[in-house]
Amino acid sequence: MFNLTDLHLDALSEVFNIGAGRAAASLSEIVGEEVKLSVPSVEIRRSEELNVQALQLEQSHFGIVKQQFSGTFSAEASLLFSEESALEIMRDMMGSQMSVEELAEFEQEAMCELGNIILNACLSAMADMLVIQLESSLPTYTVYSADEVIQNIVDLEDQVYILILHINLEIERRQVNGRLIFLFSSGSLSSLRTKIDSFLQNI
Amino acid sequence: MSTETSDVCSLLIVDDSRVSRMMIRAFVLDKHPNWVITEASSGNEALTVVDQKHFDYCTMDINMPGILGTDAAEQILVKHPHLRIAIFSANIQEVLRTRAADLGAQFVAKPVTEKSVNIAISFFKAGRV
Repeated sequence: MFNLTDLHLDALSEVFNIGAGRAAASLSEIVGEEVKLSVPSVEIRRSEELNVQALQLEQSHFGIVKQQFSGTFSAEASLLFSEESALEIMRDMMGSQMSVEELAEFEQEAMCELGNIILNACLSAMADMLVIQLESSLPTYTVYSADEVIQNIVDLEDQVYILILHINLEIERRQVNGRLIFLFSSGSLSSLRTKIDSFLQNI
Repeated sequence: MSTETSDVCSLLIVDDSRVSRMMIRAFVLDKHPNWVITEASSGNEALTVVDQKHFDYCTMDINMPGILGTDAAEQILVKHPHLRIAIFSANIQEVLRTRAADLGAQFVAKPVTEKSVNIAISFFKAGRV
Protein backbone atom coordinates (compact mmCIF):
# COMPACT_ATOMS: atom_id res chain seq x y z
CA MET A 1 0.00 0.00 0.00
CA PHE A 2 2.75 2.41 0.94
CA ASN A 3 5.30 0.61 -1.15
CA LEU A 4 7.45 2.82 -3.25
CA THR A 5 7.94 1.73 -6.85
CA ASP A 6 11.32 1.54 -8.57
CA LEU A 7 10.56 4.91 -10.14
CA HIS A 8 9.89 6.47 -6.71
CA LEU A 9 13.17 5.05 -5.42
CA ASP A 10 14.97 6.23 -8.57
CA ALA A 11 13.67 9.76 -7.94
CA LEU A 12 14.74 9.60 -4.29
CA SER A 13 18.12 8.23 -5.24
CA GLU A 14 18.66 11.16 -7.60
CA VAL A 15 17.58 13.59 -4.86
CA PHE A 16 20.08 12.09 -2.43
CA ASN A 17 22.88 12.10 -4.97
CA ILE A 18 22.32 15.80 -5.53
CA GLY A 19 22.29 16.26 -1.74
CA ALA A 20 25.50 14.25 -1.44
CA GLY A 21 27.08 16.41 -4.16
CA ARG A 22 26.24 19.57 -2.24
CA ALA A 23 27.49 18.09 1.04
CA ALA A 24 30.74 16.98 -0.62
CA ALA A 25 31.29 20.51 -1.94
CA SER A 26 30.84 21.93 1.59
CA LEU A 27 33.10 19.30 3.18
CA SER A 28 35.68 19.89 0.50
CA GLU A 29 35.84 23.55 1.51
CA ILE A 30 36.49 22.50 5.12
CA VAL A 31 39.29 20.03 4.36
CA GLY A 32 40.65 21.86 1.31
CA GLU A 33 40.64 18.75 -0.86
CA GLU A 34 38.33 16.85 -3.11
CA VAL A 35 35.76 14.87 -1.15
CA LYS A 36 33.98 11.96 -2.76
CA LEU A 37 30.52 11.31 -1.41
CA SER A 38 28.06 9.03 -3.13
CA VAL A 39 24.81 7.28 -2.32
CA PRO A 40 24.96 4.03 -4.28
CA SER A 41 21.72 2.52 -3.01
CA VAL A 42 18.37 3.43 -1.52
CA GLU A 43 15.97 0.90 -0.06
CA ILE A 44 12.88 0.92 2.08
CA ARG A 45 11.91 -1.55 4.79
CA ARG A 46 9.45 -1.95 7.63
CA SER A 47 10.94 -1.54 11.10
CA GLU A 48 10.11 -5.11 12.16
CA GLU A 49 12.24 -6.43 9.29
CA LEU A 50 15.23 -4.55 10.58
CA ASN A 51 18.26 -6.34 11.99
CA VAL A 52 22.03 -6.02 11.99
CA GLN A 53 22.24 -7.95 8.69
CA ALA A 54 19.70 -5.75 6.93
CA LEU A 55 21.70 -2.66 7.82
CA GLN A 56 24.98 -4.49 7.13
CA LEU A 57 26.47 -3.16 10.33
CA GLU A 58 29.81 -4.93 10.47
CA GLN A 59 31.40 -2.87 13.21
CA SER A 60 30.47 -3.07 16.87
CA HIS A 61 30.05 0.63 17.73
CA PHE A 62 28.66 3.54 15.80
CA GLY A 63 28.74 7.29 16.05
CA ILE A 64 25.27 8.50 15.24
CA VAL A 65 24.15 12.01 14.38
CA LYS A 66 20.41 12.35 14.70
CA GLN A 67 18.08 15.12 13.56
CA GLN A 68 14.31 15.47 13.48
CA PHE A 69 12.74 16.88 10.35
CA SER A 70 9.28 18.30 10.15
CA GLY A 71 7.15 20.15 7.64
CA THR A 72 5.25 18.63 4.72
CA PHE A 73 6.11 15.32 6.39
CA SER A 74 8.20 14.47 9.38
CA ALA A 75 11.04 12.02 9.73
CA GLU A 76 13.86 11.19 12.06
CA ALA A 77 17.18 11.10 10.22
CA SER A 78 20.25 9.30 11.57
CA LEU A 79 23.67 9.30 10.03
CA LEU A 80 25.81 6.36 11.14
CA PHE A 81 29.54 5.90 10.86
CA SER A 82 31.59 3.29 12.68
CA GLU A 83 33.12 4.88 15.78
CA GLU A 84 36.66 4.50 14.40
CA SER A 85 35.69 6.07 11.06
CA ALA A 86 33.93 8.88 12.87
CA LEU A 87 37.11 9.72 14.77
CA GLU A 88 39.22 9.52 11.61
CA ILE A 89 36.91 11.80 9.64
CA MET A 90 36.92 14.21 12.52
CA ARG A 91 40.70 14.26 12.69
CA ASP A 92 40.75 15.10 8.96
CA MET A 93 38.24 17.86 9.47
CA MET A 94 39.91 19.38 12.51
CA GLY A 95 43.49 19.07 11.29
CA SER A 96 46.01 16.50 12.43
CA GLN A 97 47.70 18.66 15.08
CA MET A 98 45.28 17.68 17.80
CA SER A 99 46.05 15.27 20.58
CA VAL A 100 43.75 12.33 21.27
CA GLU A 101 42.42 14.11 24.39
CA GLU A 102 41.62 17.23 22.44
CA LEU A 103 39.95 15.15 19.74
CA ALA A 104 37.74 13.44 22.30
CA GLU A 105 36.68 16.84 23.55
CA PHE A 106 35.64 17.96 20.07
CA GLU A 107 34.12 14.65 18.96
CA GLN A 108 30.55 15.61 19.76
CA GLU A 109 30.76 19.01 18.13
CA ALA A 110 32.63 17.93 15.00
CA MET A 111 30.40 14.94 14.34
CA CYS A 112 27.28 17.06 14.79
CA GLU A 113 28.68 19.48 12.24
CA LEU A 114 29.48 16.68 9.77
CA GLY A 115 26.00 15.24 10.24
CA ASN A 116 24.43 18.64 9.96
CA ILE A 117 26.16 19.27 6.61
CA ILE A 118 25.28 15.89 5.11
CA LEU A 119 21.72 15.64 6.46
CA ASN A 120 20.76 19.20 5.59
CA ALA A 121 22.26 18.96 2.11
CA CYS A 122 20.17 15.83 1.48
CA LEU A 123 17.01 17.30 2.97
CA SER A 124 17.38 20.63 1.19
CA ALA A 125 17.86 18.79 -2.13
CA MET A 126 14.66 16.88 -1.36
CA ALA A 127 12.79 20.05 -0.41
CA ASP A 128 13.92 21.85 -3.59
CA MET A 129 13.10 19.00 -5.94
CA LEU A 130 9.75 18.06 -4.43
CA VAL A 131 8.87 21.72 -3.76
CA ILE A 132 8.16 21.19 -0.08
CA GLN A 133 9.27 22.76 3.18
CA LEU A 134 11.26 20.90 5.79
CA GLU A 135 12.67 22.22 9.04
CA SER A 136 15.30 20.51 11.11
CA SER A 137 16.02 20.28 14.82
CA LEU A 138 19.53 20.64 16.21
CA PRO A 139 21.65 17.55 15.68
CA THR A 140 22.59 15.27 18.56
CA TYR A 141 25.50 12.84 18.64
CA THR A 142 25.56 9.49 20.44
CA VAL A 143 27.71 6.39 20.32
CA TYR A 144 25.70 3.15 20.20
CA SER A 145 26.47 -0.52 19.77
CA ALA A 146 25.05 -2.18 16.63
CA ASP A 147 22.36 -3.88 18.74
CA GLU A 148 21.35 -0.60 20.37
CA VAL A 149 21.01 0.98 16.92
CA ILE A 150 18.54 -1.72 15.91
CA GLN A 151 16.74 -1.85 19.25
CA ASN A 152 16.11 1.89 19.26
CA ILE A 153 14.43 1.62 15.88
CA VAL A 154 12.44 -1.53 16.60
CA ASP A 155 11.17 -0.03 19.90
CA LEU A 156 9.59 2.94 18.16
CA GLU A 157 5.86 2.64 17.87
CA ASP A 158 4.96 5.21 15.23
CA GLN A 159 7.94 5.17 12.90
CA VAL A 160 7.25 2.02 10.98
CA TYR A 161 9.01 2.61 7.67
CA ILE A 162 12.74 2.95 7.24
CA LEU A 163 14.50 4.44 4.27
CA ILE A 164 18.07 3.16 4.21
CA LEU A 165 20.82 4.80 2.17
CA HIS A 166 24.31 3.44 1.91
CA ILE A 167 26.89 6.20 1.88
CA ASN A 168 30.46 6.10 0.60
CA LEU A 169 32.59 8.95 1.83
CA GLU A 170 36.18 9.42 0.70
CA ILE A 171 37.94 12.22 2.47
CA GLU A 172 41.70 12.84 2.45
CA ARG A 173 42.20 9.49 0.66
CA ARG A 174 40.44 7.70 3.49
CA GLN A 175 37.41 5.69 2.50
CA VAL A 176 34.59 5.18 4.97
CA ASN A 177 31.14 3.73 4.64
CA GLY A 178 28.15 5.04 6.47
CA ARG A 179 24.42 4.67 6.55
CA LEU A 180 21.79 7.31 6.40
CA ILE A 181 18.52 6.14 7.90
CA PHE A 182 15.19 7.93 7.78
CA LEU A 183 12.36 6.77 9.99
CA PHE A 184 8.88 7.56 8.72
CA SER A 185 5.45 6.99 10.14
CA SER A 186 3.06 5.46 7.62
CA GLY A 187 1.33 8.86 7.31
CA SER A 188 4.59 10.66 6.57
CA LEU A 189 5.69 8.03 4.06
CA SER A 190 2.34 8.37 2.35
CA SER A 191 2.85 12.17 2.13
CA LEU A 192 6.33 11.65 0.72
CA ARG A 193 4.96 9.26 -1.87
CA THR A 194 2.26 11.75 -2.88
CA LYS A 195 4.89 14.45 -3.31
CA ILE A 196 7.08 12.20 -5.46
CA ASP A 197 4.01 11.31 -7.55
CA SER A 198 3.22 14.95 -8.24
CA PHE A 199 6.88 15.60 -9.02
CA LEU A 200 6.88 12.70 -11.52
CA GLN A 201 3.59 13.84 -13.07
CA ASN A 202 5.07 17.25 -13.73
CA ILE A 203 7.93 15.90 -15.83
CA MET B 1 5.54 26.41 -24.50
CA SER B 2 8.56 27.98 -26.11
CA THR B 3 9.36 25.99 -29.20
CA GLU B 4 12.38 27.56 -30.83
CA THR B 5 13.73 25.76 -33.80
CA SER B 6 12.85 23.26 -36.46
CA ASP B 7 16.38 21.84 -36.83
CA VAL B 8 16.42 18.09 -36.47
CA CYS B 9 19.28 17.10 -34.22
CA SER B 10 20.08 13.86 -32.49
CA LEU B 11 20.76 13.78 -28.78
CA LEU B 12 22.03 10.96 -26.62
CA ILE B 13 21.04 11.18 -22.93
CA VAL B 14 23.30 9.15 -20.64
CA ASP B 15 22.18 8.78 -17.01
CA ASP B 16 21.60 5.82 -14.75
CA SER B 17 18.61 7.58 -13.22
CA ARG B 18 15.46 7.02 -15.25
CA VAL B 19 13.91 10.09 -13.64
CA SER B 20 16.83 12.28 -14.74
CA ARG B 21 16.60 10.92 -18.29
CA MET B 22 12.86 11.61 -18.33
CA MET B 23 13.42 15.17 -17.12
CA ILE B 24 16.18 16.00 -19.59
CA ARG B 25 14.10 14.52 -22.41
CA ALA B 26 11.02 16.54 -21.39
CA PHE B 27 12.87 19.87 -21.10
CA VAL B 28 14.67 19.33 -24.43
CA LEU B 29 11.54 18.28 -26.30
CA ASP B 30 9.69 21.27 -24.90
CA LYS B 31 12.09 23.54 -26.79
CA HIS B 32 12.99 21.24 -29.65
CA PRO B 33 10.09 18.85 -30.27
CA ASN B 34 11.67 17.35 -33.39
CA TRP B 35 15.01 16.38 -31.89
CA VAL B 36 15.60 12.66 -31.99
CA ILE B 37 16.48 11.39 -28.54
CA THR B 38 18.18 8.16 -27.54
CA GLU B 39 18.81 7.12 -23.95
CA ALA B 40 21.60 5.07 -22.38
CA SER B 41 21.76 4.11 -18.71
CA SER B 42 25.53 3.79 -18.35
CA GLY B 43 28.78 5.05 -19.81
CA ASN B 44 29.48 1.60 -21.19
CA GLU B 45 26.14 1.51 -23.00
CA ALA B 46 26.83 5.00 -24.37
CA LEU B 47 30.15 3.81 -25.83
CA THR B 48 28.31 1.07 -27.74
CA VAL B 49 25.45 3.29 -28.92
CA VAL B 50 27.67 6.08 -30.31
CA ASP B 51 29.34 3.57 -32.61
CA GLN B 52 25.99 2.43 -33.99
CA LYS B 53 24.23 5.74 -34.60
CA HIS B 54 25.14 9.30 -35.41
CA PHE B 55 24.64 11.86 -32.66
CA ASP B 56 25.10 15.61 -32.65
CA TYR B 57 24.88 16.08 -28.91
CA CYS B 58 25.15 14.16 -25.68
CA THR B 59 24.28 14.78 -22.02
CA MET B 60 26.43 12.69 -19.72
CA ASP B 61 25.97 11.95 -16.01
CA ILE B 62 29.17 11.22 -14.05
CA ASN B 63 28.38 8.79 -11.26
CA MET B 64 27.00 5.67 -12.89
CA PRO B 65 27.57 1.95 -12.54
CA GLY B 66 30.54 0.91 -14.72
CA ILE B 67 32.84 3.56 -16.08
CA LEU B 68 32.57 7.17 -14.95
CA GLY B 69 30.74 9.55 -17.29
CA THR B 70 33.83 11.73 -17.61
CA ASP B 71 35.87 8.72 -18.77
CA ALA B 72 33.11 7.68 -21.19
CA ALA B 73 33.01 11.25 -22.55
CA GLU B 74 36.76 11.22 -23.08
CA GLN B 75 36.62 7.95 -25.01
CA ILE B 76 33.63 9.08 -27.08
CA LEU B 77 35.35 12.34 -28.04
CA VAL B 78 38.44 10.49 -29.28
CA LYS B 79 36.30 8.61 -31.80
CA HIS B 80 33.64 11.25 -32.42
CA PRO B 81 35.27 14.65 -31.93
CA HIS B 82 32.33 16.47 -33.56
CA LEU B 83 30.00 15.46 -30.72
CA ARG B 84 29.19 18.20 -28.21
CA ILE B 85 28.90 16.83 -24.71
CA ALA B 86 27.33 18.44 -21.65
CA ILE B 87 28.38 16.76 -18.42
CA PHE B 88 25.58 16.83 -15.85
CA SER B 89 26.92 16.34 -12.37
CA ALA B 90 25.60 16.30 -8.81
CA ASN B 91 29.24 16.53 -7.73
CA ILE B 92 29.82 20.24 -8.10
CA GLN B 93 33.42 20.43 -6.91
CA GLU B 94 36.00 22.40 -8.86
CA VAL B 95 37.99 19.31 -9.83
CA LEU B 96 35.03 17.98 -11.85
CA ARG B 97 34.39 21.33 -13.52
CA THR B 98 38.04 21.45 -14.55
CA ARG B 99 37.91 17.89 -15.84
CA ALA B 100 34.88 18.74 -18.02
CA ALA B 101 36.58 21.87 -19.34
CA ASP B 102 39.75 19.90 -20.15
CA LEU B 103 37.66 17.53 -22.24
CA GLY B 104 36.08 20.44 -24.11
CA ALA B 105 32.71 19.56 -22.59
CA GLN B 106 30.24 21.83 -20.81
CA PHE B 107 29.86 21.28 -17.06
CA VAL B 108 26.25 21.52 -15.90
CA ALA B 109 25.39 21.31 -12.19
CA LYS B 110 22.50 19.04 -11.32
CA PRO B 111 19.60 19.00 -10.46
CA VAL B 112 18.06 18.69 -13.88
CA THR B 113 15.90 21.79 -14.30
CA GLU B 114 14.74 23.87 -17.25
CA LYS B 115 17.60 26.24 -16.45
CA SER B 116 20.33 23.58 -16.35
CA VAL B 117 19.03 21.93 -19.53
CA ASN B 118 19.05 25.33 -21.25
CA ILE B 119 22.74 25.73 -20.37
CA ALA B 120 23.40 22.44 -22.15
CA ILE B 121 21.27 23.39 -25.16
CA SER B 122 23.04 26.76 -25.53
CA PHE B 123 26.38 24.96 -25.46
CA PHE B 124 25.16 22.49 -28.11
CA LYS B 125 23.94 25.25 -30.39
CA ALA B 126 27.05 27.37 -29.96
CA GLY B 127 28.98 24.63 -31.73
CA ARG B 128 26.79 24.64 -34.82
CA VAL B 129 27.95 26.58 -37.81
